[in-house]
Parts: sequence; C-alpha cells; structure tokens
Amino acid sequence: MKFSVYRYNPETDSEPYMQTFEIEHRQGMMLRDALLAIQEQDESFTFRHSCGEGVCGSDGVNVNGSNKLACITSLTELKDPVEVRPFPGRPVIRDLVVDMSQFYAQYEQVDPWLQRKEPLPEQEILQTPEERDQLDGLYECIMCGCCSTACPSFWWNPDKFLGPQALLSACRFLADSRDQAGEERLDKLEGPYKLFRCHTIMNCVEACPRGLNPTKAIGHIKAIMLKEAI
Amino acid sequence: MSRRASGLRAWFLQRATAIYLMLFILYLLQHLIFNPPDGFAAWQGWVAQPLVGLGLLLFFASLMLHAWVGFRDVLIDYVHPTAIRVSILTLFGFALIGCALWVMQTIFLATVA
Ligand code: SF4
Ligand code: SF4
Ligand code: FES
Repeated sequence: MKFSVYRYNPETDSEPYMQTFEIEHRQGMMLRDALLAIQEQDESFTFRHSCGEGVCGSDGVNVNGSNKLACITSLTELKDPVEVRPFPGRPVIRDLVVDMSQFYAQYEQVDPWLQRKEPLPEQEILQTPEERDQLDGLYECIMCGCCSTACPSFWWNPDKFLGPQALLSACRFLADSRDQAGEERLDKLEGPYKLFRCHTIMNCVEACPRGLNPTKAIGHIKAIMLKEAI
Repeated sequence: MSRRASGLRAWFLQRATAIYLMLFILYLLQHLIFNPPDGFAAWQGWVAQPLVGLGLLLFFASLMLHAWVGFRDVLIDYVHPTAIRVSILTLFGFALIGCALWVMQTIFLATVA
C-alpha cells in the first residue's frame, strides 16, 4: 500500500513536502500501525499516539481529506494511495504533530467544570436516571480535535469562535442538573462570535470518531438561549 | 445593537424573517400562477390593496433585515481588517436604506394612484 505523508521539520526544512512510503498491508492493520511501519523505515518521522484504541484522542490526523483517529481507522477503509497530513489550519510543530493550544484555550473558556452556588452536600449530589440521560452524547468527548479542526468557522476565526468541541462541552454542563451556573454560561457565549459563528455546516458531526453531534449541541444551546430571552 | 443582542437577536431575526419570506413567496407564486395581473393597471390595483401593500412592505423589510444579517455574517467570517469591514458594511447599509425608501415610494405611489 502506498502512503504519501506530510513532512516538515521547521529546523531543517524551508518548506513542507510530501514523502512517499510503501507499506505491506497485513490483515487487521490500522492506520496507526502503518504510521509505525513508516517510522521504522525513517525514524525521524514524527506523530502523536498513545492508547491505540481510540480513547486518548492523541492521534488525530487528516487522512485523504478527512480528520480521523489513526488507531481506529482500518487500512481497508482507505483508498490507495493514502495521503496523511496534519490537522488543517493548525500550526505544524513537526510532521504530523500540530500545536493545539488554541483548541485547549477554547475549552478553558467554557469553564468545563461543575459549578455549584449552594454549599456542597456531605455526600454526592444525586441525579435521577433521566437527569443522567441528558448527558449522553455530550460527556463522551475525548478532545481529539477532529471536529474543531474540520470546522470552517474555526478556520476563519479560531481566536474568537469557540469551535464545536468547546461548545459541545458548554452544552454538557448546561445540561447537567447539578450545575448551577447556567445563566453565567449563557452570558459568556453571547455576542456574534463565540457561539454564533457556527453556520450548521456539520463538518464536525462527520469528523467525530466518537459519533457525537456538536451541531445538535450547538442548536440545543441556541434553543436554551432563546427560551431564556423571551 | 447591544453586545448581548448581537448574537442571539441577529440569529433569531434571520430565522424569523426567513419564515415570513418563504410564506410570502409561496403566496406570490400562487397569485402569479392562478391570477396573473395583465398590464400595469392590474399590477397597480393589486399593490393598492391595503393587505397586499402591507404584506409587500413587510416582505421587503424582512428581506433587508435578512440580507443585513447574512451579509454581516459573511463579512465577519471573511473580512477581518476592521476598517475595511466597517466601510463595506456601511456602504451596504446605505444601499439597503436606499432600496427600502424606493420600495416604500413605489408602494405609496401605487396606493394613491
Ligand atoms: S456545524 Fe458549526 S461547529 Fe460544526 S463544523 Fe459546522 S460551523 Fe463548525
Ligand atoms: S466532539 Fe468528537 S471529534 Fe470533537 S473533540 Fe470530542 S471526540 Fe473529538
Ligand atoms: S492512540 Fe489514543 S486515540 Fe488513537
């Protein structure tokens, strides 16, 4: 199987270039295995990965034009030759490794933790099963960044639009019956940028390896805002 | 527009005007298909009906609000230097106001004729 991978080492290369590798396609091979095989051929080739089973979210790459987690992308689902690039729109640190600081800064902006105004009880705060169900489809995010870096609104305004991942997280806390900072959370999302740059393009939904739906979450936040406003 | 209103209100305006635009276009289409006005006098008579005139005024008001929000969105996405963005937006705003006055004049003239 033929691989064309993006190479760039800012210390030695004046410009990024694509390099071709030939990998033997063994049965059950994932894209991460192929990247490891490439690394065996050229040990200067750099990419992030860790868990190998789609839970750490560190090996997101752009494969044949879509963002995917390398470790859970089977080679059989990819068209030969395979083109592997770093996430679009992010500064490249080296080869497939990109700088995700802006993505984390966005996450931080939605205060992704539970906020209580009442004093905390001695025991845990109980939820009914129905209240707990509200968090399904929101809490499973592994922060891989496949969604945000596929979002055109994020490409145009990464410093002002929060991007699908952070907005999904905002929705996760708005939907949590134990959280008491809903008002403040909504206030923080006001203005034309943070939330309203989303134009329901839905690239994020297509990209999410966990099958989550940030677009739906964003729509849900808008609905809550509207309800609070009238 | 206050800072607080510029997100939600713009978004809501865009949806609400879209609904009215769609309904009015449906009405317009059925009118043009089932009893197309023949000639200037028929057009004028049609516009002179108070409900049609009002509907038309609302239609163009919605259209302009809708265009304003949409155009502003495009500029926010693609035109980042503030000076250029404000200039284009101002020009567009004047053009819209011009169109609005013209529409009002046309409908008014049809009504008094
Ligand atoms: S739906 Fe919104 S958040 Fe998702 S990719 Fe489109 S613009 Fe971005
Ligand atoms: S929503 Fe999905 S694609 Fe986006 S960061 Fe979370 S897990 Fe990754
Ligand atoms: S290596 Fe952890 S998600 Fe792929």
